[in-house]
Order: sequence, then structure tokens, then C-alpha cells
Amino acid sequence: MAALPLHEEAAGWYLYGVVPSGAEAPRAAAVDPRHEVVAVREGPVAGLASRVSLDEFDEAALAERLADAQWLEEKIRSHEQVLESALATSAVVPCRFCTVYRDESALRRFLSDRAGALSGALARVEGRVELGVKAFAVPESSGDEASQAESGRAYLEARRRERQAREELAQSRAQLAGELHQRLRDAAEDGVLLDLQSREASGRDADMIFNGAYLVAEGERFRAVLAAASRDHGGLDLELTGPWPPYNFVPVELASA
Amino acid sequence: MSSRDLDAYRPQHPAQLADVLERVLDKGIVIAGDIQINLLDIELLTVKIRLLIASADKAREMGIDWWQNDPFLSGQNGHGELEERLRKLEEKAGLPTTKEE
Repeated sequence: MAALPLHEEAAGWYLYGVVPSGAEAPRAAAVDPRHEVVAVREGPVAGLASRVSLDEFDEAALAERLADAQWLEEKIRSHEQVLESALATSAVVPCRFCTVYRDESALRRFLSDRAGALSGALARVEGRVELGVKAFAVPESSGDEASQAESGRAYLEARRRERQAREELAQSRAQLAGELHQRLRDAAEDGVLLDLQSREASGRDADMIFNGAYLVAEGERFRAVLAAASRDHGGLDLELTGPWPPYNFVPVELASA
Repeated sequence: MSSRDLDAYRPQHPAQLADVLERVLDKGIVIAGDIQINLLDIELLTVKIRLLIASADKAREMGIDWWQNDPFLSGQNGHGELEERLRKLEEKAGLPTTKEE
């Protein structure tokens, strides 16, 4: 690695997540690729962190960077990759994007102050992973009966039927989503429903009708339940994602020790 | 259950950006109070991402369609002004942001 310039820029610590103190730092590219991801050990836990330039990650600089889609995707993928690599060997409690400390002592203070809550969060996800499940449906053709109607009355009648069909479709999809969630939750330790994604976001030419995340201990069993659910719903188009670090199964805010 | 059935449910890599975004930006622990940077910008960004991710139909019903002209959300790499975006966000008062709850 090239030596840093003599005039050293202000640097902070970017925290990706927390692991048990016995875990090794993963070999994955850091958000600032000039630095390595290290395990900052403090009592029973360790923070996975890397040095970042505050020219890039300080409050003012960050506001501009966040508007740059390319920068954002690169850093978000890197954040995810570090945690995924860590997940291969230990439990991980993920932090939200851009958790940055000004110095190492502030990072260590956080780790020691919240050691109890962090250990609890780690114990909950130990030996488990988050899996995502999405379901897609090809939209049924709504027809264009109304515009072809020959009389005003036929038009209104056709409109009414279309509206009713839409409502019925929405209702049957909601029911299906509810059944599917219940079934998958039963095969998992926990489960949450996520927002449905637009087609632009999902990249699929179909309506997303279900989006859930599950904390899973037995992956094979979960996949078997998924396959059975698809079959029982007439070959429902299900997509599995993960294994993810358990973003959806850690406390949003930690209680102080 | 044959292993071929199960193989149909192997996740693909790399993950869809939307799936990564909805987790990395919106989930995971938040360390309020300890951290030195202001997370407000990220929260506002999260509102936008949530809208992008949320069903486009639902958003349209609410009269929200500005992402179509937004270089970030339409996937082009723009150098849009964050100020302008904040203004737009504020204009759209009544968005289901986390703060309203």
C-alpha cells in the first residue's frame, strides 16, 4: 500500500457492524479501498470498522456524495460485502449505512457502553441468517371493455365490472400474501413484511405481490416450505434472496447498558 | 422434495440493488447520540428510496411522480443539487415519512 501523504487528511472510523470478539475481520474491500477492515475488540464484542477520510465522509461532504448515485451504489455494495463476508464465519449485527465515528476512542466507548445490548442482539441471530422472499404475479389483462362500449349504459356497466375485478384481484393477492407470510414464518424464527417494490426497483416485468424477510436457522427446511408453497399456489413465482446479514432482525436502537 | 426443486430457490448474485438498498439504508442499528455526523441527510434519502421501492401504483395514487424526473431515482448518474431535492421533499408534505409517526 502506498504511504499516505505527509499531510495526513482527517480520518474517521466507518463502522459496518458488530461481531463477537473472537471473530476475525473479513477480507473484503472497505468503503475507502485504501484502508483495511479491522476488528476493533472491546470486551465480548468487536466492531468491524475501517478508516475513512472525513473529506469524503464528513457531514458536509456526505450531503453531496449522497446525491451521486454511482458513489452511493459503490459504497452501499461495499458495506454489504463486508458484512456478507463476516456472516460466513460469525454472527453479525449490521449497522446502518454511514455510521461514522470521528476517532477510535468514540468507537470503543460505544462498544463498551453497549456491550450488553450488542451481545444480546448477537445471541439472537447466532446461527441464523436473513432470507428474503418475493412473489410476483403477471398482471391479468384488465381488458378495455369500457372504451369499446357502444352505449353510455354499457360503458358504465363495463367500468363497474372492471373496478370490481380490480378489487377482487387486490383482495385475493392480499389473502395470498397473508397465507404465505404465515407459512414462511412458521418455518422460521421470525419474519417481517417489507414494502412491495415497484417494477423499476425489482427489475421484473410483473407485479410484486409479496415481499418478506425471515430469520432462518434451517435453510433447507425453509426452502422446502417455499417450494411447497409455490406448488400449492399453482406454481406461484417466488424468488429467494440472501443469505443476508440480519438487517431486519436487530434492534433499531440499542438501550444503554 | 427433490434437490432439483430446492435448487430452484438458490439466491442469485449479485443481489438486486433495490434489495440491498432497502436493507442497508433503512435497517440495521442506528447509533443516535454517539455518532458525530448528522443522519438527517440519510433519513431524507431513505424517504426517497422507500418511495422508489414502494409500489409505483401506490405512489402515483398519492400524486407522487417526481422520481421520473429525478436523475438519481431514474438511474442516471446526475449531479443534482441536494438542496433542490430537499425542497421537493418538503413540498411534498404528507409523505409517509418515519418522522410523522
